[in-house]
Amino acid sequence: MKLNSKTIVMAAAIMLSACTNGGGFGGGGFRGGGGGTTGAASDPTSAGYFQQAIGDRVLFAVDQHTLTPESSALLDLQANWLLTNVEFGAVIEGHADEQGTSAYNLALSGRRANSVIEYLVSRGVSPVRLQPLPLGKERPIAICSEETCYNQNRRAVTVVAAGGLS
Amino acid sequence: MRLMITVAVGFACLLIGLPAIAQQSRGPLRIEITEGVIEPLPVAVPDFIAETADAANFAIDIARVVAADLIGTGLFREIPKNAFLSTPTSFSSPIQYSDWKTLNAQALITGAVATGSDGQLTVKFRVFDVFSDAQLGDGLQFGGAANSWRRMAHKVADAVYSRITGEGGYFDSRVVFVSETGPKNQRAKRLAVMDYDGANVQFLTDDSAIVLAPRFSPTGDRVLYTSYETGFPKVNVLDVGTIERRALDVQAEALTFAPRFGPDGSTVVLSLSQAGNTDIFKTRVDGGPLVRLTSTPSIETAPGFSPDGSWIVFESDRSGTQQLYVMGANGGEATRISFGKGRYGTPVWSPRGDLIAFTKQANGRFHIGVMRTDGSEERLLTASFLDEGPTWSPNGRVIMFTRESKGAAGARALYSVDITGRNLRRVPTNLSGSDPAWSPLLR
Amino acid sequence: MKSGAYISGMGHGGLILWALFGGLFLNARDPLPVQASNVSLISSEEFAALALPNEAPVIAVETPVSAQPSVQDDAPIIVPASEVSPDPPKPEGVKPPAAEGLPAIPESPITPQTDVVVQAPNAPAAPAIDEQSETVQPDQAPTPAPAPRVAPIAAPAPALDAEIAETTAPEIAPDESADTPAPETPATAPKEAATEIVTEAETPRFAPKTSQRPKVRPVRPVQTAKQDEPGTDPISDAVAEAVASETPEPAQPTGPPLTGGQIEGFRVAVGNCWNVDSGSAAARVTVTVGFSLDRSGKLVQNSLKFVTATQGESGAINAAFEAARRAIIRCGAKGYELPLEKYPQWKDIELTFNPEGMRIK
Repeated sequence: MKLNSKTIVMAAAIMLSACTNGGGFGGGGFRGGGGGTTGAASDPTSAGYFQQAIGDRVLFAVDQHTLTPESSALLDLQANWLLTNVEFGAVIEGHADEQGTSAYNLALSGRRANSVIEYLVSRGVSPVRLQPLPLGKERPIAICSEETCYNQNRRAVTVVAAGGLS
Repeated sequence: MRLMITVAVGFACLLIGLPAIAQQSRGPLRIEITEGVIEPLPVAVPDFIAETADAANFAIDIARVVAADLIGTGLFREIPKNAFLSTPTSFSSPIQYSDWKTLNAQALITGAVATGSDGQLTVKFRVFDVFSDAQLGDGLQFGGAANSWRRMAHKVADAVYSRITGEGGYFDSRVVFVSETGPKNQRAKRLAVMDYDGANVQFLTDDSAIVLAPRFSPTGDRVLYTSYETGFPKVNVLDVGTIERRALDVQAEALTFAPRFGPDGSTVVLSLSQAGNTDIFKTRVDGGPLVRLTSTPSIETAPGFSPDGSWIVFESDRSGTQQLYVMGANGGEATRISFGKGRYGTPVWSPRGDLIAFTKQANGRFHIGVMRTDGSEERLLTASFLDEGPTWSPNGRVIMFTRESKGAAGARALYSVDITGRNLRRVPTNLSGSDPAWSPLLR
Repeated sequence: MKSGAYISGMGHGGLILWALFGGLFLNARDPLPVQASNVSLISSEEFAALALPNEAPVIAVETPVSAQPSVQDDAPIIVPASEVSPDPPKPEGVKPPAAEGLPAIPESPITPQTDVVVQAPNAPAAPAIDEQSETVQPDQAPTPAPAPRVAPIAAPAPALDAEIAETTAPEIAPDESADTPAPETPATAPKEAATEIVTEAETPRFAPKTSQRPKVRPVRPVQTAKQDEPGTDPISDAVAEAVASETPEPAQPTGPPLTGGQIEGFRVAVGNCWNVDSGSAAARVTVTVGFSLDRSGKLVQNSLKFVTATQGESGAINAAFEAARRAIIRCGAKGYELPLEKYPQWKDIELTFNPEGMRIK
């Protein structure tokens, strides 16, 4: 029985995670920030686990795209996970807070995504598995217009999806 | 002796008067005036005259649109209709100038509308310079389909504006923008186009994907914009008439955004982001090689052409903060033109070629400003929590931009301001919108 | 004592000599052009006929002037506007709106219309002199009104003048050329004089004014008018010039020069009506306008003319001139306040409107 349920759960997890779309900002009627949150967090091979147990985001200072030591440490964990779960690819979203003009923030968010990618690549993850997605200031998660919200929005989010990227 | 003195004195007295007599008559008195007033010109726009029974509503509505156009510039003020002492009863009836002078109306616009058999409308008008007791220029007449009555009204207003200010108008034009709904962290965006005064809104895309920064072609028939429909930011071209769209034909994996047409209608300049670096590239809207114009490790974005197509203005943070630069249309050395304290972005060249509008951030505030094309005479026109993304009216006198309010309930709206900084007003549309781009005058 | 007498005599003599001959040096330095006002002789009846209208510049009597000819005359240019406005009233959905594209189909514009303008006058001209007298009510659009009245006069002239006026230095009169069947009323005649002159001379049917016009120049005419003068009356012209060469001015005392305060008062008076559109191209044009005032400080009809302007597009110069003209007319409606005893000094004025300090304030 136990075996069966575990199998069922795992199978379900795998099937469900396969449904997630790596580029969830387009035709799938994107709403909210950070998709692909499926799979039980208890399953260390699931995206849910990646997101909740390991942590999928790193934060940045105003106008900066450099990684802090804490960020690097977190990215180490992310890299390890990716190296373990080779069937996953990742889209690295870059974000910026609203204190800037639209196009510049798009470019800045691209820099942030790229910082994460370069770091992961330096930890051995194959670059073909990683894709940057600059989102500028389009998808804040905190919407007050204060620094307490801004510093949450200046982020890069690693969104993993099984099956790599199309 | 005494006699001599008397005679001498007598002569002297006589001759003192001589210089006055000998004075030549002078030329005209020449005076220079340097102080006038700046105030809206009072104008009277009585209802147009309906020359056919069906034209009654059109006559009133068209006159209202003409008046709204003129008042909306901030250069005119309307004399209220209930103050009129007399109103013209036919298009050719003589004008009682004294009636209008009493009201201090300096300009008078009369017009007439007639409906035709096949749904056609004829609109004609005259402008009068009241204090000169004379008509100003020729009358004009327009014809068109009845459902384009607003366009005809705008054309009337353009002609009147032109007669009085000596410059081209901007009323018969459209604005493409991003219409927004939903909460701040889940905005649904879709492309929309409307008359410059907010009427006749038409949606060009649905809201299933984020869209940004649409820009008209020089003839107003196509729009370039950034779309996330593939999941990643890419430049699309959309035909306004058919609403058909396609991706701009560049490398599949390229992340492209911030596109603009060149004045020839086929050159496209845009930003491309690769490995975290953003540079400016050029290509053609119907396909062609992607030509790199900048190659620096800094961010180069928001490029735009000068009206003659020979220069490109853009923003770059190569100096450490975002500043404005100008380079030749084929790339090459770039000259910095912004030097104030703060960050500068979103530069747009005026269609008159004389100014560049921009967004400036300083001390936690955003401003829309203008400067000469060499960077001199910088003037800030607005100040608020977040203003950005200016676009020019076809005659280079008015700037429209996005203003966002602060906080969790913050929403974006379109505003316009005159280049003198006067007449800041919200564009009358109920929609929440951003990223406006003004079309040229429609033909 | 004697020495005192000698000194006094020498002082007085020197004064006399200076008074007599010092003026010579002054003259050499100030070769001011002689302000000639052309004068010719007219009978008192003629004068009366002309004098009346001059008195009623601002009054309603003017209205018949603007009796508009029919649309055809001055609504020539049909702008394309047969456009399709692509504004489908259905803002929903992404469905392509049925067809319309933005750009419209331009029609052939101007030429057909100018033909219309030309043809209109052929309609019987109603010499509505009798009708016109003072009729003020605008309702009385005289039935023959529309085209006919304009008649032969307007035909060729306005077509040309109107176009020319747009592009060259602005002139007051041509604006009205298309509409003003000027000769109708005595009241209007002097005002229309400038443009009408060209054609009126050809059509004697319009009563006293036309026959007198070549002889009388109460006011400086606009440039177009001048071309007619020499042709019509060479002899009276020669006489007029001979008369004019004498300077009538010296006969009247001009008084002390206008004080700074008086000039400043005048500047302010005009400036109050001078509306500057500070963001416009016209605000970059400095325009000089010349005009004459009568003794009550009111603008002399038809005397306002364009003198010069700094560089700029014709549209900008035109707009600057119009704004200047409006300023002078509006604030001068009740007459400018200037000292009567100094009238010769300010009867002719050239005002330069310099908006440099007002640009984009």
